[in-house]
Amino acid sequence: MEESRRKHRILMVSDFFYPNFGGVESHIYYLSQCLLKRGHKVVIMSHAYGNRTGVRYITNNLKVYYIPWRPFLMQNTLPTFYLTLPIIRTILIREKISIVHGHQAFSTLCHESLMHARTMGCKVVFTDHSLYGFADPGSIHMNKILQFTLADIDHAICVSHTSKENTVLRSGIKPETVFVVPNAVDTAMFTPAPTQLARDEVVIVVISRLVYRKGADLLVEVIPEVCRLFPHVRFIIGGDGPKRVRLEEMREKFSLQDRVEMLGAVPHSQVRSVLISGHIFLNSSLTEAFCIAILEAASCGLLTVSTRVGGVPEVLPEDMIVLAEPAPQDMVRAIEQAIDMLPNIDPQIMHSRMKSYYSWHDVAKRTEIVYDCVMDSSNKSILERLPRYLICGAWAGKIFCLVMIVNFILWRLLEFFQPAESIEEVPDMASMCNHEDDN
Amino acid sequence: MKNGRDSHDTYKYVRTDTSTLDKVIDVHDVYVKRSKLRVLFSYIGRLILLANMSLLLIEKDKLSIVSFWRLFLGVVSAKLLQYKPIKKVMVDGSVTFPPINYIRSGVAAIHIERPPLFQSLTDCGRIDRKFIQMGKILKPVLNECVTPVTCYWSLVLVLRDDDQLALVFQKLQPPIKILVPVWKALCKSTNLEDHSHSLK
Repeated sequence: MEESRRKHRILMVSDFFYPNFGGVESHIYYLSQCLLKRGHKVVIMSHAYGNRTGVRYITNNLKVYYIPWRPFLMQNTLPTFYLTLPIIRTILIREKISIVHGHQAFSTLCHESLMHARTMGCKVVFTDHSLYGFADPGSIHMNKILQFTLADIDHAICVSHTSKENTVLRSGIKPETVFVVPNAVDTAMFTPAPTQLARDEVVIVVISRLVYRKGADLLVEVIPEVCRLFPHVRFIIGGDGPKRVRLEEMREKFSLQDRVEMLGAVPHSQVRSVLISGHIFLNSSLTEAFCIAILEAASCGLLTVSTRVGGVPEVLPEDMIVLAEPAPQDMVRAIEQAIDMLPNIDPQIMHSRMKSYYSWHDVAKRTEIVYDCVMDSSNKSILERLPRYLICGAWAGKIFCLVMIVNFILWRLLEFFQPAESIEEVPDMASMCNHEDDN
Repeated sequence: MKNGRDSHDTYKYVRTDTSTLDKVIDVHDVYVKRSKLRVLFSYIGRLILLANMSLLLIEKDKLSIVSFWRLFLGVVSAKLLQYKPIKKVMVDGSVTFPPINYIRSGVAAIHIERPPLFQSLTDCGRIDRKFIQMGKILKPVLNECVTPVTCYWSLVLVLRDDDQLALVFQKLQPPIKILVPVWKALCKSTNLEDHSHSLK
């Protein structure tokens, strides 16, 4: 049964990849590695990062195209609609790609790649990693673009059921085309400390970007109150951002220099060493589709206190997480409850449970099922696909149709001036290495 | 003696590979086919420039800023459409060995060689030559290049004590099936050089 599963050739596309570190970047990397191990061919495409441009091979011969399009805003490439068509077409043909898998609604490269891939008749999958609102101008604009991209998509993946509801409401796609495949954690990398920490002093760890979205303003209210109520508690805060100044001011105002330690930006490779120096992990995010940070903390044996937002309640069982409303008083109550629960927490048992709950191999297996469903869906011509765009809105629908028609015409022109047969297919890395050994 | 030929829409590849006791001749010729469309466009560009200049001469009493702009645009279009094709690129990795009696007498082999020659011949007859010492070549590498609009393969040489890669084909982008035999031959030549160093 294992040997008979289909092998796919997948192109992962996103503006967010190594050398950046984050949830989306980790997801793409670990998923790609596990899919490679399962025998699929995976290629990643992202934009150039500084001098990192061209083709690079990372662990296990995972090929990455860093196309020389510079980011213009928040790591996103400039939206050009059609200018990325030649390079994307070339990559799809030379790598013989059958499925294009785009990541993150905020990535312009992802949206353009999915549009061009659909025009060329490739199967496409989209994974949404974040929750977005409905009311503010940025979200309205983002949702319209998402509606355009997902109008003609085969299947989508969301990282939690809450994220699925959010994506379905924002884009208007059918819920039955959306799969829920949660993120995972590398439990081999995030292990508890060899010896359990003493409990005479309780250390609460916070590691996040210090921005509004991650609830840094809540921390400013919560920390002084907790320090006042519990004299044996101290905080370690890792991360940087515009709200760091507020936390520094809070520390000065309440004279908490010896009880609140600010580490600044923590490299991803050192996150574990910071986590294992604490007993409780505090997450104060105002919105989260999933929150991989909680998984990392639980894998290191920390009890988690988190705001009850987005997909967070779906991540851990009740005995491993204490949830609170995103309000200072409720968070203080939750921290008190967590301190009372500490004597019953065994980090090694928690780590073992996390190993059984979450695994990237499981994520790859479930994503493979999505790919199989996508490959089984029927091919449709452009005339059959255009009506899907018309339902996007009275004016928007017509504009979307026009965009796709122009894209189709440009693609046919490219086919005429540079036929697909003239683009050489790339030999697989393994066979090229054997060739060189023979020499 | 081994010879090879290969053909592509734009390129033709001919290899001459002869081995004797005292020398190895290994020459790779890549011929570039002229593009008739580009020749036509280059004539159109020249025609536009000629027409603009003639108009300038006719209107010499009524010259204005528009006339000079027209001339400027004519020069630009002629320059952009200009076609100076490369006719042939030759990679010569031939190697000469010392006579066999030196080796029999046990003297350390002195490897006499001519460095690889990279030569391109343009359509107008101009020849550009570049010599690279065999000992300076660390490794020939097939490199995948990515531009904002396309990807292609190139054959480059990693040189000792040099940060820059040396392109074997400076202005051409031959297909991989033409690059591979040249790459293999260069790998063989550099391996030969490594072996001769080890004899010393």
